[in-house]
Amino acid sequence: MTDHEDIDQRLSRLSRATEGLRASAGFSSRVMLAISAEAMPSFFQTTWLSARRLLPAAAIAAALAVGWAVQVDGTVDDELANSYAALELE
Amino acid sequence: MDTLETAVDRVLSGDHSAFQQIVDATSQRLVRLGARIVGNQADAEDVVQEAYVKAYKALTSGDFERRSSTNTWLYRIVVNGAIDARRSRTRRAEASDEQFDPGWDGAALAEARVALSELDEWLESLPTDQRAALVLQSMEGLNNTEIAQVMGVSEGAVEQRLVRARATLRHRREQS
Repeated sequence: MTDHEDIDQRLSRLSRATEGLRASAGFSSRVMLAISAEAMPSFFQTTWLSARRLLPAAAIAAALAVGWAVQVDGTVDDELANSYAALELE
Repeated sequence: MDTLETAVDRVLSGDHSAFQQIVDATSQRLVRLGARIVGNQADAEDVVQEAYVKAYKALTSGDFERRSSTNTWLYRIVVNGAIDARRSRTRRAEASDEQFDPGWDGAALAEARVALSELDEWLESLPTDQRAALVLQSMEGLNNTEIAQVMGVSEGAVEQRLVRARATLRHRREQS
């Protein structure tokens, strides 16, 4: 700062002098690369999202499986009861 | 509507490639702003890159509420990042007791390098929020209302920071 330069004059001079500051070459590309990396989902995110999409179908399949198992179980019980009854008659 | 707002509209409507236009339209100004607050270009570029990533996430996730202009919004992200970077840099320098290496690259012009170095040394003694307010007013040409929006404080707080910053600089000058 010169003897007669006050705060505003110095700020003004330094403002003009730093107008020439520019981002370095390739800065824009680096930014877009960083954004692409951030936008790309991680393995965990991908797996979790895929799993979440399949969740309703999996729930329906599980309910059908339980229903089928109960039905089959009832049929087996009937068949066993019939076979025991047949044995007793013999 | 200007190019910047049009590009923001495109990103908001799903054209994520339009973010490149936002970067192209604002990066020079934001890097210069970051450098004036942080004190060197390399750190300023890191700050601005991080700011763009935050802006992109906000735009694509619907967090951008458009309560201010895109320029003011980007300024706010960069100023906050620059203040954080400067504070952590000061803490690192104090912890290691080492002089910070400005890490110049070839992009900055010689005159700008010297001037930025002089600015950094001159404003070194100011608290970072006062330094940011002074830079926004005297070098970026923002008025107190705009500075208050960018810094997320009241106009009274901005005025107080500016008065204190100038008082500190005046006091230092009288001492030297």
